[in-house]
Amino acid sequence: MIEFHPGFVLLIGALLAAVLPARARQAVMILAPCLALFFVFILPDGMVVSHTFVKGLDLIVLKVDTLSRLFGMFFCVITLIGNIYAIRVKKRGESVGSLVYAGSCLGVVFAGDWLTLFLFWELMAVSSAFFILYSKTPQAIRAGLRYILVHFFSGNLLLFGIVFKAIAGQTELSILSETGGAAYWLILLGVSINAAVIPFNAWLTDAYPEGTIGGTVFLGAFTTKVAIYCLMRIFPGTELLIWIGVMMAIYGVVYALLENDIRRLLSYHIVCQIGFIVAAVGIGTELALNGAALHAYGNILFKSLLLMCVGAVIYTTGRRKLTDLGGIYKEMPVVVILYMVGAFAIAGVPLFNGFVSKAMIVSAAAESAPPAVGLLLNLVGLGTFLSICLKLPYFMFFGPDKGIRLRKKVPANMISAMAASAFLCVLYGVVPALLDQHLLFDVRYQPYTWSHVISTIQFQIAALAVFCIFLPKLAGKPTISLDTDWFYRKPLNAFIFFIVHVTISLQAKAGVLGASMLRLMAPILQEQAYLRHLGKIRHGLFSPIFCKDHYWFPIGTVIFMLLLMFVGVFANIFFHN
Amino acid sequence: MTAKKGLIICAIAALLTIILEILFVQHKTYDWWHGFIGFAIIFGFLGGSALILVSKLFGKLVQRKENYYDGGDDSDD
Repeated sequence: MIEFHPGFVLLIGALLAAVLPARARQAVMILAPCLALFFVFILPDGMVVSHTFVKGLDLIVLKVDTLSRLFGMFFCVITLIGNIYAIRVKKRGESVGSLVYAGSCLGVVFAGDWLTLFLFWELMAVSSAFFILYSKTPQAIRAGLRYILVHFFSGNLLLFGIVFKAIAGQTELSILSETGGAAYWLILLGVSINAAVIPFNAWLTDAYPEGTIGGTVFLGAFTTKVAIYCLMRIFPGTELLIWIGVMMAIYGVVYALLENDIRRLLSYHIVCQIGFIVAAVGIGTELALNGAALHAYGNILFKSLLLMCVGAVIYTTGRRKLTDLGGIYKEMPVVVILYMVGAFAIAGVPLFNGFVSKAMIVSAAAESAPPAVGLLLNLVGLGTFLSICLKLPYFMFFGPDKGIRLRKKVPANMISAMAASAFLCVLYGVVPALLDQHLLFDVRYQPYTWSHVISTIQFQIAALAVFCIFLPKLAGKPTISLDTDWFYRKPLNAFIFFIVHVTISLQAKAGVLGASMLRLMAPILQEQAYLRHLGKIRHGLFSPIFCKDHYWFPIGTVIFMLLLMFVGVFANIFFHN
Repeated sequence: MTAKKGLIICAIAALLTIILEILFVQHKTYDWWHGFIGFAIIFGFLGGSALILVSKLFGKLVQRKENYYDGGDDSDD
């Protein structure tokens, strides 16, 4: 039997997709994730593959255990579903991007040492940015650039932490919970940024709603769940995470209640659900970690189902604001039904998969966390029901009829991808035992007890009553809500503009001063050409206004030098081996 | 009108679940409220209302016009 790294299967698939014609490309998009899933299942536990990178430093490219196999399985399943949804995408770049993105996520999941993790981490950041940039609207391009800057920042923090670990001679991935020290904090911060932990959540809610329709499904499924994987691998049982998770969850719920853009509303619920999982990782008991993994998988399934349904609404109506939508349920009944499956799943209605994982996390909280945690998590669940099961469908599908006619039909491939997700949401909800054998710990847990079911239903009845009373207050308003991205979009932006302006005007003033001093010496120099140049300066051709074209050459030179240096260093490393 | 209907349905359903709770549920009590009949309904109702009111109040602080970042009207900043 040949064992092969599942991530590389997808990366090779990406290479093929880059050169093959449209038909064959579609086949690759379906077959590559299937093959990767196959390899995830046949890889034996404890298998390790490493390559020497430089002397004394081995890259452990593949290390298989229960946790990595579990997340590998999740990512392969959603890659397949997402690729079915996006199979008609015309742009070659998007198909290639999805496979590279998924491949790099699997790379992180199966990495056995810090440096391999970091390399795939960066590949993940770069390949995911294309899904935002490909939307091509000015907002999307600006959001995409902000997205990539935030991710490079998180990657750099991670790298700093890794350098500290490497100096200490520890290159293999290990559990760092409660160790303290620079490496601990840097790595925790780097991973937290990717997990959209508040206050670093703004990149997600800023960029995801601007992504392409197909791309948002991948974005919603991968980056944050990879970060969750890293938290589970490196920081299980870190108490700080309990409270951070609870705060995140409440934060997401509050913003979702205010939001008008349908995809941004769902993005805030990514933050909220990740908060749920982060809290579970912080609790760190066997039941909590099982619940965290299961909820991550659930979240991948129902959140992408919701994003796919909302994507179908945007695709067919061309509208993305609650204030512009309403009364379209008759036009797309199938989408409404599939959406409601996803909504019930995320809100944890009994018989859907969210119920099982939420019950596990809430039980774990009741057993081993401060009492308030369980209560607050229940409240968050109620808030989720309120915005995803009631507010969003009411104002998007039902509500006042805005007389919208669909521009096109929902294609069959989109429907089948959504149906596949919905099927899995129900399947794992009805037969939770299906996943038991893959989970991390052998903890017998029975979610369907009278106590769980009745209290969940009671919470949901309360939510419905609250919705009926506050209905007029919940309607979308044509506004945006400021989030922590404000700090780098307004004050920091103004500050950078100020610095650039001051520098340019100082430079210009110095130029004029220098020129007039040279002019004094002109009779001595007698250089005609130079004098002509001075004349230009005096007549104000060098204005102190910033013009980026002036800077192509100097900046380009610097980048070129940096590249040369990198090539030199790497050549040196390789030839010395 | 429909809101009223909704509330009546909620009330009936709530009563039903409370009857079921009394009949069948054996609570594991980690804290006192786990054994409190109908606690989820009361806590859910009060908590949910508080959530909406708090978020509306918070909205007053953070909500801006849609063109805020595109050099639009930010005089209320």
